[in-house]
Amino acid sequence: MSQQPLTLPAADTRAGAPRRRRLLEIAGAAAIAATNVFLVLNQPADIANGPASFSALVALGGFLLGAVLLLAAVLPVLPTSTLVLMPVAIVLNVVLGQLMGSTGLPFYLDAIGTVLIAVLAGPAAGAATGVLGSIVWSFFNPTVLPFAAGAALIGFLAGLAARAGLFRRFYFAPVAGFLTGVLAGVVSAPIAAFVFGGTAGLGTGAIVSAFRAMGDTLLAAITKQALISDPMDKAIVFTIAALLAYALPRRTTFQFAFVRRFRVLAGKVPADPAA
Amino acid sequence: MADGGALVSAASASARIRSFSFHGDAAAALRDIRISFLPGTLTAVLGGSGSGKSTLGKLLAGWLRPGHSGVMRGSLALGAERLDFDGGSGDPRINPAVWSARVGYVPQDAAAIISTVRSNVAEELAFGLENRGVPRPEMIRQVARVAEQTGLSGLTERDPAELSGGELRRLAVACAVIAGPEVLVLDEPMASLDAAGASGLRNLVAGLLDAGTAVVVLSQRADVLARSAGRWIILDGGTAVADGSPADLQEGAALRDAGVVQEGGAAGMPGTLPAPPALPAVLELRGIGFGYGAGTPRGGAGPGPAGDPARAAVLRDLDLTLRAGEIVAITGPNGAGKSTLLRHANGLLRPQTGDVVVAGTNIAGVPAGRIAARVGVLFQQPRDQLFERTVLREVSFGLRRLAGAGAGDRAQEALAAVGLAGAAQAHPAELPSSQQRLLALATVLARRPAVIALDEPTVGLDRPGLERLQHAVTGAAARGAGVVMVTHDLAYARANAHRVLALDGGNLREL
Amino acid sequence: MSLHPLTALTAACCAAVVTTAAASWQLSVAVALAAALLAARAGVAARVLAAAGVILAPLFLSLLVLHGLFFLEGHTVLAQWGPARVTAEGLGFALELGTRTAACVLLLLLFSFTVSVPDLVTALAARRIPPQLSFVLASTLILVPAMAGRLEKIRQAQEARGLVVGRGPLSRLAAARLQAVPLVLGLVEDAGLRAQALDARGFGLPGPRTSYRQLQDPPAQRIFRAAALLLAAAAVVLRLMTAWPTAVPS
Repeated sequence: MSQQPLTLPAADTRAGAPRRRRLLEIAGAAAIAATNVFLVLNQPADIANGPASFSALVALGGFLLGAVLLLAAVLPVLPTSTLVLMPVAIVLNVVLGQLMGSTGLPFYLDAIGTVLIAVLAGPAAGAATGVLGSIVWSFFNPTVLPFAAGAALIGFLAGLAARAGLFRRFYFAPVAGFLTGVLAGVVSAPIAAFVFGGTAGLGTGAIVSAFRAMGDTLLAAITKQALISDPMDKAIVFTIAALLAYALPRRTTFQFAFVRRFRVLAGKVPADPAA
Repeated sequence: MADGGALVSAASASARIRSFSFHGDAAAALRDIRISFLPGTLTAVLGGSGSGKSTLGKLLAGWLRPGHSGVMRGSLALGAERLDFDGGSGDPRINPAVWSARVGYVPQDAAAIISTVRSNVAEELAFGLENRGVPRPEMIRQVARVAEQTGLSGLTERDPAELSGGELRRLAVACAVIAGPEVLVLDEPMASLDAAGASGLRNLVAGLLDAGTAVVVLSQRADVLARSAGRWIILDGGTAVADGSPADLQEGAALRDAGVVQEGGAAGMPGTLPAPPALPAVLELRGIGFGYGAGTPRGGAGPGPAGDPARAAVLRDLDLTLRAGEIVAITGPNGAGKSTLLRHANGLLRPQTGDVVVAGTNIAGVPAGRIAARVGVLFQQPRDQLFERTVLREVSFGLRRLAGAGAGDRAQEALAAVGLAGAAQAHPAELPSSQQRLLALATVLARRPAVIALDEPTVGLDRPGLERLQHAVTGAAARGAGVVMVTHDLAYARANAHRVLALDGGNLREL
Repeated sequence: MSLHPLTALTAACCAAVVTTAAASWQLSVAVALAAALLAARAGVAARVLAAAGVILAPLFLSLLVLHGLFFLEGHTVLAQWGPARVTAEGLGFALELGTRTAACVLLLLLFSFTVSVPDLVTALAARRIPPQLSFVLASTLILVPAMAGRLEKIRQAQEARGLVVGRGPLSRLAAARLQAVPLVLGLVEDAGLRAQALDARGFGLPGPRTSYRQLQDPPAQRIFRAAALLLAAAAVVLRLMTAWPTAVPS
């Protein structure tokens, strides 16, 4: 065993691997996008003839395939320091979500951990956390599994926002969250419409009912509802994640190369470690 | 500085650290350290809290990697191989899986080395072998051998999460040993081990030394294990201030100045304190009975891990009277219910029978957050008690409601009492563990409660920490507060309390 | 005979897919009942039904309000109040979707409440699934109960410092923030240490891995899995062929 070199090669020498990963990523994103377009174009005009079993299968298959492809692309190359944060993030999604639930406020806030990881470790880690979180959470609540693609999108966009420096100013974080929420709403609405035929909450159900009463199709009504709820929710989630990231001590946040390299957090300029 | 040549080629490992600093830190965590370890020798690295012992240990063992975890200037050597670092991007990158197989590290918190994803001790031991692709028959052989060596043979089917402190420490050592390291670094290996656990660990270390492993012990106490070392290195402020045999260093100023606790020596004044004046009682426990399980009033306190502890009563018809200005210590074996008793003082637990009276008022029905105005409790895990961004904000939290305009002065005064006045703007989480505990104490002192309850206050404190603790406690008592502390450290209890009581069979008796 | 975790997983997933493809509330109800019965036989009925109830009750109510009152496509009007119309088609739609979701939820909960996580991790490792996946899965499932205990300890420590949680939402929100900070901080710090430990134990190595734990995978179960997958695929293909949209709506 002592024959192994003590050091790692200077650069990643596996030339073929990055290209394969890139292809997997593109395939995953394409699967998600194509499924979405297909569902919107081919939404059954005749849901009166029975539940949209066809659309449900397409939605489940397409979105899950996309999520799994993304995971397969990202997971093997994530550093251990990011990987060990994922259980924490997933549990945070759950525990903080429940904590908020006990305050009686009308938000779900179930993506705080995902966004926090994205801020600390980047878009790929954020997307992987979204997918893995959905898979693990489905052990207790299988209805979240179909939303894996949406969760991946949230993590990915949060990571992009962090890289672009939107977490350096407090007023940019909610804006980034708002925009993320718009996209996330568009991606998750077909799932809610075709797989579950509605939303899980009574409050959101009432909003959907109102749009239906005005003559919208089911998908349109749920999409509009999502465009009301999700941006608001994600704006709050991004703000809370930013607050948490700033509450962490500097030595902890600086352990993440992503934070150092892109100067993700304000006022935390790398100190010059002069000898 | 002379370069090269200084490294002893016969050494298992050596390091020359000109400086090492964490990313984002302005100051170096370690500087000017030269150290090397010969096969089969025991070295003790001694230093107070925050002296850089753990950083050094992790750096030696590849847990902290130059470039990855911080910026390092200097060199690390294993056997004949030497890696030089100058803090630039061209530095070699350590492969932790290979490096750590040759230099093992067992962290202070032994649970941290456990993967948590394996269901029994044997599988946990095999985790490192699985990752290296060791064939299964070979794996079974090695697991059995190391389990035998570390005294875990009878425990291989147990869930690692259910091991006792001593067993967990041995499992952590076994997880490091199974890779066959030439050097093994143990971080505070004796901390919070009972007598049986401590002797088991010492035998294990003796066996490793006989087998030719170089063992390095990091400790802030000059305890039995440290005193059996052939060589001491004393760390202070991230640098080596003394290096030599225990006999030479034992009485030297370096050891004392570094904040190392001398075991065996009295931690405070000899003999018990003179009896305080007989003042009125501030805390009275009258006929307290309490047991976990079906009748627990706090039963709905959340979906904790399943399986209630034994239903047996923990406290039975227990009486305690604490007078103003009095310091009472309560000792007893692990699991006797010391912490349970303490939690009754401020209403975190409610007695099933009997009454708790604080300053003349029965606290039944009063929320714990309100009782806190008169009863302050310091918990074992100071980190759970801290939540603010700076030390000053931490101490000032909620003080204005209590003290009005005097809040600022009180906060400063409490910080000064524990010696943290200079660290007012630091982040609480970045303080060394000893100071975190003192900060938690300051948050209690600032509220000037009538009763101060301390849960194992001495654990993890270095010498200056112990002195500050003692100073703060006697100061509070002189001001008229009643102090009750639970501790397993009988010597400390005897030296620093007016009365020492033993909790035994759910009851208190005078010692 | 003990069930290989992948056999149980395949059975649960394939049954869910077939139920979704079949689109028949009678079948959905039958599958849901079967899952409940199996849960009772495995001794986890109480937990499965409680978890399912928490998930399904709001969904059922929401579906009932949404489709029971506002189903524009319905023709057979049973009752009408202003804009709200109760239609037979709407109620049928709610019934179809509600029972379908119930069947799938019960099947998957039955799997997750009966599977042995260590066995599942071993099975995934043997299938060359990236070990990172099973690590996150197992680690999270262990962390969930540990977290509840940790949060309780933090709450106690803070109450002992005089933190009084008031009744109003703002006060509770403030308390939640104060509890969240040490929780997140502690967990992130622990994670950093755990990462160092895992790397030291070779978790980051790319090469092939071996497994100490071993699982029995009888040939009969392999055949069953292949058959179940074929059946599910056939059901999906059949549904796609019969329902493929003939013309893209203009």
